[in-house]
Amino acid sequence: MNLHRKIEALGGAFIGALKSVRELARLWRGSLAGLVERDYPKGEIARQMYVVGNKSVLFISVTMGFLGMVMVMQSGQQLNRITGDLSQLGPEFLRLFIQEFAPTITALMLATRVGAGIAAEIGTMKVTEQIDALRLSGITPTSYLIAPRFFACVVMSLVLTIFAVVFSFSAGGLTAWSVFGLNPTLFFDASRVQVYDLTLGGCKALTYGMAIPVISGYCGLEARGGSEGVGTATTSAVIGSSFAVLLIDFLLSGIGFAFFGGGAR
Amino acid sequence: MIGEGLITGIGRGTMAAWRELGGITVLTGQVLRALVPPTMDRPELLRNLYRMGNRSLPIIALTAFFVGGIMVVQAGVLVRQLNAAGLVGWGAGYAIFREVGPMLIALMFSGRVGSNNTAELATMTVTEQLDGLRALAIDPIRYLVVPRVLAMTICLICLVILGDIIALYGGALFAMLVLDLEYATLHYSLVDNIGWLDFIHGVVKAGVFGAAIAMSSCYFGVSVRGGAVCVGKAVNAAVVAAAISIVLLDFFLTYLLP
Amino acid sequence: MSEPGRTAIDVHDVQLRLGHRQVLQGLHLKVAEGGRLGILGPAAGGKSVLLKLLVGLLQPDAGRVEIRGTDLSSGDEKVLMRVRRDIGMLFQNYALFDFMTVGENVAFPLARRGDVEADEIRDRVEARLRSVGLAGSAHKMPSELSGGMKKRVGIARATIARPALVLYDEPTAGLDPVTTQKMYDLLSADQEETGCTVLAVSSDVKALMGFASELALIHEGRIRYAGSSSEIADSSDALVRQFVSGSEDGPL
Repeated sequence: MNLHRKIEALGGAFIGALKSVRELARLWRGSLAGLVERDYPKGEIARQMYVVGNKSVLFISVTMGFLGMVMVMQSGQQLNRITGDLSQLGPEFLRLFIQEFAPTITALMLATRVGAGIAAEIGTMKVTEQIDALRLSGITPTSYLIAPRFFACVVMSLVLTIFAVVFSFSAGGLTAWSVFGLNPTLFFDASRVQVYDLTLGGCKALTYGMAIPVISGYCGLEARGGSEGVGTATTSAVIGSSFAVLLIDFLLSGIGFAFFGGGAR
Repeated sequence: MIGEGLITGIGRGTMAAWRELGGITVLTGQVLRALVPPTMDRPELLRNLYRMGNRSLPIIALTAFFVGGIMVVQAGVLVRQLNAAGLVGWGAGYAIFREVGPMLIALMFSGRVGSNNTAELATMTVTEQLDGLRALAIDPIRYLVVPRVLAMTICLICLVILGDIIALYGGALFAMLVLDLEYATLHYSLVDNIGWLDFIHGVVKAGVFGAAIAMSSCYFGVSVRGGAVCVGKAVNAAVVAAAISIVLLDFFLTYLLP
Repeated sequence: MSEPGRTAIDVHDVQLRLGHRQVLQGLHLKVAEGGRLGILGPAAGGKSVLLKLLVGLLQPDAGRVEIRGTDLSSGDEKVLMRVRRDIGMLFQNYALFDFMTVGENVAFPLARRGDVEADEIRDRVEARLRSVGLAGSAHKMPSELSGGMKKRVGIARATIARPALVLYDEPTAGLDPVTTQKMYDLLSADQEETGCTVLAVSSDVKALMGFASELALIHEGRIRYAGSSSEIADSSDALVRQFVSGSEDGPL
């Protein structure tokens, strides 16, 4: 009996997940269509870009700066233990940050900061019937609300990833110099970076930038009940978009490795 | 004009950050005092442990599984480049145990459990339930905060241990499927190069991260002022503070721990 | 705009289930164009849900909803958009856009049409705000207003485009009796000017009786009374009589 109910619950969860995936795909298409139709308030894209950047630039600087220092310390210690040759530390660091850490950690921070904001904002509009009022005026909420946030997130995810690379690379170089006495000219060396790394990092940043607003917007639009509903929407937006980031990271890295050999020469 | 706004903004932000930091420190002090001698609500602790573990286990397990996969893919490049199959187990294990495992699992835990905890406490605060407890001569810190802090710390330690295992086996699975490596190669590469110290390094980090997530999550929950709108803001602030403290503490712990 | 005698709203045998609750079970309702219908009923009886059905924000599980001859139950967005152009609605919690000023809120339905000049929009918004007693508030944000003022902004927004059908969800909830009367005077004056069909949902029996010529009482998803407002007090249904008189003993 108990097992029966558990299987039922599992099946229900599975169907729920399928439905959500279908809804997410619909929302994604709707955002793209909304960008083509340009059915959003004037200057909204610029405003949203400002909001995304302003909310997260300090946050990303702190996290990426410290992450850069930690990575250099950890790998420096290991290299010292095994080979003692630190000459490859900087070039490998840069490659790894461009295609893995900078886009992914930046996106995780965006999911926390911006995703939560989008879900809270749209969720509030949902529970106060503003979404209904929009639809009554002949507006599709997706094109009016999600599309500009979608575009802003995609662009800012890329911009902030570049910023994150620069910031963490500088922090890492300073650490290598002050802790291991590594010559900065040896560290700041971009010769190992290939087109593959730039493409993979860029693709990751763009895909994360699409996933975060779509998932968070979906959570907001699904909000029900008063302020408690908004709270639930916010938390599920954070966890949903964070998880999506990790999943996308895994898929894209896997595809890159399987089809392009991970950029190895 | 813009410059002036920026400077004022930075100034105000710094002031706010110090104020929050002070608040968190005071709350931490109160929690520590409540722990000596340990007086708290045992059933509440167990209830929280069960709830938090239950709530976060699936997402943490999935996260760990993918993290293992990502690490192996990254290590796979080394294999192709240097033909160094013997390094995959070591590289993936070292990164998972010490850095990536605790940090990513902590970030996910903060998003799932920390944010939920803040929302719950904040709702209780704005609906004056904390004052209600005080009126019944119950200390809300001992009754609500202490069990949650303990539960979150214990929970994250257990989840990171479990996550490490899942990530390693998930990674091994991908390494066998994608990189065509033998299980034995991975196993010995890990066992020969990674010691208990690396594992404990990560577990200590997990404990500290858990406490930090718990403190910021509880602090923003009980210190919320104003109406229901502020609950959302409190949640957001708590998650951001938790993320920053995780990265900062990770830096210092890496530096301090062997 | 409206043609008296034609049916503005035709709700036929509508069933609706939300979650585990059967909200509407076999609801019938007809309103002639230019009519003033008041909808009464105890809380959670399905009044607000009915309004959402009328604008196609919800779709019935069974039955038919026709607005001015157009069937909404197909759920086709294009059809809905066309029908909604002629509908104004005041939401229960006003649903003012909190990212716009009061003026932009009121102008919104007009601006969305795209066929009205900016100058004319500004003049009409100014006039509309004056008629609801909020002259000079156009630049304020909704968060600066009190509940009653927000409600009046909501009314201005619902009526600015002179829709053929106006739906008011609780236009007077939380207002004192004097303001309530003023509010209904405003709605009356509006209706007389444009000749639109008005549907007002409220649980305030007395005020609604003064405003609406026809009343309908919804209880547990069905219409328990439909007829002229002067005769509702003499209804043969004990539940209706009890609700109107507000006495404690009875079936409710």
